[in-house]
Amino acid sequence: MKEIIAVIRMNKTNAMKRALVEAGVAGFTAAKVLGRGKLVEDPAVIAERKERLLALAGDEVEPAETEQLVDGFLDGSRLFPRRLFTIMAYDGDVPRIVDAIMQANRTTNKVGDGKIFVLPVLDAVRVRTGEAGDAAL
Amino acid sequence: MLLIRAIVRPEKKDEVLAELSRAGFHAATVVDVVGRGKQKGIKIGGIVYDEIPKSLILMAVRDEDKDDVVRTVLAAAKTSDKGAYGDGKVFVSPIEEAYTISSGAKGL
Repeated sequence: MKEIIAVIRMNKTNAMKRALVEAGVAGFTAAKVLGRGKLVEDPAVIAERKERLLALAGDEVEPAETEQLVDGFLDGSRLFPRRLFTIMAYDGDVPRIVDAIMQANRTTNKVGDGKIFVLPVLDAVRVRTGEAGDAAL
Repeated sequence: MLLIRAIVRPEKKDEVLAELSRAGFHAATVVDVVGRGKQKGIKIGGIVYDEIPKSLILMAVRDEDKDDVVRTVLAAAKTSDKGAYGDGKVFVSPIEEAYTISSGAKGL
């Protein structure tokens, strides 16, 4: 049994849920989290993201304020919101689920699409029936 | 590869994250959680508070970086030289695989 932890973009939650159903694992636990990733070092990627993020700002916001916020996201001094999914899966299903998650969450932004971790799980128990092990999933 | 789960005081969260970044471990995920520890919560004037707010910091690190990361967290999360009840805990569990979604690359 494996635990799959995926940290993804907030606005990809629905695509993620759909992808999981299609992959045959409807069950999951999700939480709103804050986080930051590896520092982006490529100046071209940073410049591109900055331009795209600044373009999202509404007219009623001070441009200087927006720029300060965006800079905070890009230089790593500020945490940004993400969705953390926890999925329990049979060993054999893991590659398929990981593939499905990557397909559903990939964007053209080059950075910030998230990470997937696969951890071993020793046991699971279904509360209702007391079943243990693989039968509990 | 290892998953470090550090439960720290919310007011210490920023300091811990800053120290980790300075030590070269920038990537982290933070969740606001509530919980209690071995002391069964805090008793103040007859009322027991056992859902104490904490920050849970998740980090995936290479095996050889574990000691560095744990030491950094412990040093930054302590509220005094001796430490105090409620400063938190650090748990380390194995990660078998990790993927970056944008590139599909395996590993951290």
